[in-house]
Amino acid sequence: MYKGYLIDKTLLDGDPHLSRGCKSCHKGNAEGTTREEAHKGLVKRPSDNLKTCAMCHRKIADTYGKSLHYTTIGQRQGVMKRFSETELKAFDEKVFQQSCRSCHASCGDCHVRGAAVGGISIGLIKGHKFVKKDEGKTCAFCHGGRVYPEYTGEYGGKPDVHYQKGMLCMDCHKKSDMHGDGNIYFSKQDVKDRPACVNCHTKLGQEARLTTRTAHARHQGKVTCYGCHASAEYRNCYSCHLGTGAAAKPGFLLGLNPRDRKTLTTLRLIPTVRDSFEKAGVKMSNFDSLPNYWDTPAHNIRKRTDRTRSCDACHTAKNGFLTKEALVEQSSKADDGLIYNINPIPINP
Amino acid sequence: MKKVKLLLTVVVFLSLLPLAALAQTFSPIVSTADLAAGLTNPDLVIVDIRKVEEYKAGHIPGAVNVFYGTWAVKTGENDNQLPADDDLADIVGSAGIKPDSTVVVYGKTETPPDRVNVTRVAWTLKYAGVQKVSILDGGFEKWAAFEKRPVSTDTTMPKAVSYQGKFNKNIVASKDYVKASLGGKGKVLVVDVREPDFYNGIQKLPFVAKAGRIAGSVNLPTSLLFEKYPPSGENAGSCCTTYKDKETLKAIATPIDGKLLDRELIVYCDTGKFATAWWFVLAEVLGYKNVKNYDGSSQEWMRDPNAPTLP
Repeated sequence: MYKGYLIDKTLLDGDPHLSRGCKSCHKGNAEGTTREEAHKGLVKRPSDNLKTCAMCHRKIADTYGKSLHYTTIGQRQGVMKRFSETELKAFDEKVFQQSCRSCHASCGDCHVRGAAVGGISIGLIKGHKFVKKDEGKTCAFCHGGRVYPEYTGEYGGKPDVHYQKGMLCMDCHKKSDMHGDGNIYFSKQDVKDRPACVNCHTKLGQEARLTTRTAHARHQGKVTCYGCHASAEYRNCYSCHLGTGAAAKPGFLLGLNPRDRKTLTTLRLIPTVRDSFEKAGVKMSNFDSLPNYWDTPAHNIRKRTDRTRSCDACHTAKNGFLTKEALVEQSSKADDGLIYNINPIPINP
Repeated sequence: MKKVKLLLTVVVFLSLLPLAALAQTFSPIVSTADLAAGLTNPDLVIVDIRKVEEYKAGHIPGAVNVFYGTWAVKTGENDNQLPADDDLADIVGSAGIKPDSTVVVYGKTETPPDRVNVTRVAWTLKYAGVQKVSILDGGFEKWAAFEKRPVSTDTTMPKAVSYQGKFNKNIVASKDYVKASLGGKGKVLVVDVREPDFYNGIQKLPFVAKAGRIAGSVNLPTSLLFEKYPPSGENAGSCCTTYKDKETLKAIATPIDGKLLDRELIVYCDTGKFATAWWFVLAEVLGYKNVKNYDGSSQEWMRDPNAPTLP
């Protein structure tokens, strides 16, 4: 038997995953005495095939196979309206399967070895130990461009109050958000049981302070929680595939939610531009059917922000509001419908 | 016989009282041994300022976690600024800290920013009016990895209080205050704690508008405060970074203005973070009575075309 273990031997007996031997997941040749012999037929990432984990975790593997983390179908749905039927077929073949789908997370990406993002991986999370969760190494790595550094304040300069209180991803995002619930969803918006502020903050409208109570009552249904409580600038990516490469810069944008066109919320620029997929030979005939800005649950919530401190921040100064002049170059025509011209607060004579 | 036993118990109890009282206050720069001996102090609040993930992986038993970024926020174009007073009162109170609590702040000492994060938090707590604030010498590395002291993975939920401390506005200087001080015929001494290349305008950080220093400032680099631990022997430097001893620090600071402990000093750096290390040593360790931190520091000063600079 080949003795060149890369894992901590002390883990072997304590973990049922490991006590069954490398071969149970990684295949290869257990009788081989050299590295080359032992690695014949080796499967490097066994959990890419969900059947491997399903040998013991059938229920989870079944639901996970249908989850958005695995299918990554949300990425396709987010852009598909921009294509004609022929273009969509080409997109599916040349872009979605080859690029977007390569981003799907296997079981091992979250429980054993960090996923590779842009060819870089953190390697084994804890010496090949099967970890239940380690958000700072797993969630933070794939969602490390935008959400996670905004949550910790490393991007934007103000950490989310929930991080200040010691909360990590899975304190709001449940296990079923990761593993799926057995249903096939095309977008996270379709998942009914998603995290929501009001799941914990149940006493909205019953606050002790009159100003807080009034502000919540007046804005309920008109402005999202993020609209007032997002505290800092978040990352907006520009010009993806414009020929010059993508660039990111901090920004804070308020406008109408493109999904209902009536609720004011935080918007984030999505870097898709008119020629994003031209290198793959895929055009977007209906580019203008979708906006460049989408509602974003900015993960930098604070109790007090400029907007909660003063009505004037929005109603007079209009800080952060998306304007026609501020729209990204060659913007989609659909962006125009997101601009909200807020009125001053009427003063009764 | 029972009376004798009772009397003896009372005598023993009374004789231990001074020790208990002694255990309630730490040196401004507290050693790991002293903190370990005082862990049972009921007024003690240990604040771990490392990231939540690091805290959850292991921390000093009983420590609460309030990540560094909470204490120093971006305001406008300036990094590392004080939170608004009402926000700061919420942060302090939600960590279970009262004005008369005994607070020990700890973090890491691996990198220069790590080393000064703790003093920035300590300075912020002093600003909020907390009276007894210490920092742990050598940080978590010395406590856990080097000395193998007990570590807990149980999250300590702080008992939140409504914080009612009196804010100490005298330890922070605004840009206008610094400008006004420069014309004071040497009454106020401005101290640049950056390394000599930055003081001399040879280097600058990208977010600072131009190289150089506040006109009239003197240089007292932050790196002079620290030494590798252990300082010598077979394992020299293998643990972490600690502060030099008080006498050495005094000797370093004395040429600046060591004989005039009443003179007003204003320390600054690039964002007001590194400056807190010397602020802490001058004000809390060496007994300088009037030291302020210019929170905006070079990031703010160098943007102002009317602010006097050199070279």
